[in-house]
Amino acid sequence: MNSQTKSQFIAVASITSELSAVMVVAKEISLAAANAKAIAFRAGDKAKGFQPITDFINELAKETIELVTNINVYALLLYRLTVNEYRRTAAYNRFEQVAKLAVGARYADSMQEPISTARTIMQDCQRQFKRDVTQLLGQLEAVMHHARAARVIAANSRIEASQAGEYLQSLQAVAESVDKAAHTIHDNVQRCRIALSIYRNS
Amino acid sequence: MKMTKIYEGAHQWIMFGRDENKPDNIIDSNQYIVRTANKCLLLEPGGTELFAPMMAAVLHHAPVEQITDLFASHQDPDVISSLGLWDQALSNAKLHAPALWEGYIRHFGCESIQYVPIPDNGETIKIESVELQIIPAHYLHSPCGFHVYDPQAKILMCGSVGSAFEAPGAPVFVERFDVHVEKMRYYHQRMMPSNQAKRAWVDRVRNLDIDILAPQHGRMFKGDDVKRFLDWFDSLQVGTGI
Ligand SMILES: [Fe+2]
Repeated sequence: MNSQTKSQFIAVASITSELSAVMVVAKEISLAAANAKAIAFRAGDKAKGFQPITDFINELAKETIELVTNINVYALLLYRLTVNEYRRTAAYNRFEQVAKLAVGARYADSMQEPISTARTIMQDCQRQFKRDVTQLLGQLEAVMHHARAARVIAANSRIEASQAGEYLQSLQAVAESVDKAAHTIHDNVQRCRIALSIYRNS
Repeated sequence: MKMTKIYEGAHQWIMFGRDENKPDNIIDSNQYIVRTANKCLLLEPGGTELFAPMMAAVLHHAPVEQITDLFASHQDPDVISSLGLWDQALSNAKLHAPALWEGYIRHFGCESIQYVPIPDNGETIKIESVELQIIPAHYLHSPCGFHVYDPQAKILMCGSVGSAFEAPGAPVFVERFDVHVEKMRYYHQRMMPSNQAKRAWVDRVRNLDIDILAPQHGRMFKGDDVKRFLDWFDSLQVGTGI
């Protein structure tokens, strides 16, 4: 296996591992939202501005989980494609070797057809991989977008929390955990994107 | 890759082996082809490492599109791990291999090649007008294996049976049986699990008219060495790994 194929395998495998961490964090946000909702309910009027925010956080977390679930299915397809491309490339390289070794053989020319078929299939695989990576990068971008939105909401939450009297600390803690989680998601997804970006359609 | 014609009649048998460029850490193996006017059967196609030199060697005898049939005596990688590559090179081919091993052998890659499962009691396959008998050789050493007998050429391709491991460049036929025995003894005692299976095989094979015994590793036996081998194997205690 050459280093290009190796790093392609690693890039695809890293999506799944980074995303499983994103999943855990998104679930944490969802939990923080539920928690915040309970506090806001108890705080009543003092946390009036906080209540719609909790719903928003919850929705954001749900959407992130849904997106990541879809991306995971896609990442598996991408992995299969990588395996297939590897097999096809390996075969093509062997066929070229056959042609070299068969110089002077009576039927050496008959190898031309399998070679050109293998080349076409290999190139199709490479193109398909690039197309799929470009699409996956788009989906990852959507997750990043959600993470950015969550950070904005966390900032708003902090402001609202400051008006919640004795609930200030617990609501601030909620805002804090949303912010932290959004940060983690952003970083993980960013790493996926960097790993994949060299394979995108140029 | 060394090529040796071992039968020339209305069809041909060619033995391939002793590849000089083979990596040192994989065992040497013999491949065979049965060549008819328009078709070519590849017996024991070999491991992945051997694919390119093997295919290039076959191109001296047949064009790619006439390689229509493959045969694997059993499921081992030195016999058939090249399948995934043949699968991508041949557009219209069949693999004759044990029914019992189908799900295993397919791990090597078998999408375009048609897997033709051989039932436990063997069968006859036809390559154009050549009829080949597929003879059961279970537990020798694989729990499910088959050998190929060509009554016209009087050749028995006997897979693992009769195998020996030789220095690179060794002659393709046994020259002194008494010397050769020592190269086979440990392999047969350790790899063949059943005296009962061995006896059944010897009894069956004694009834065949054989000029050449063609194993998957080492040297072939011809003439009187065929009977010498059968007598030697008959009296050998096997299954010594316990
Ligand atoms: Fe074997």
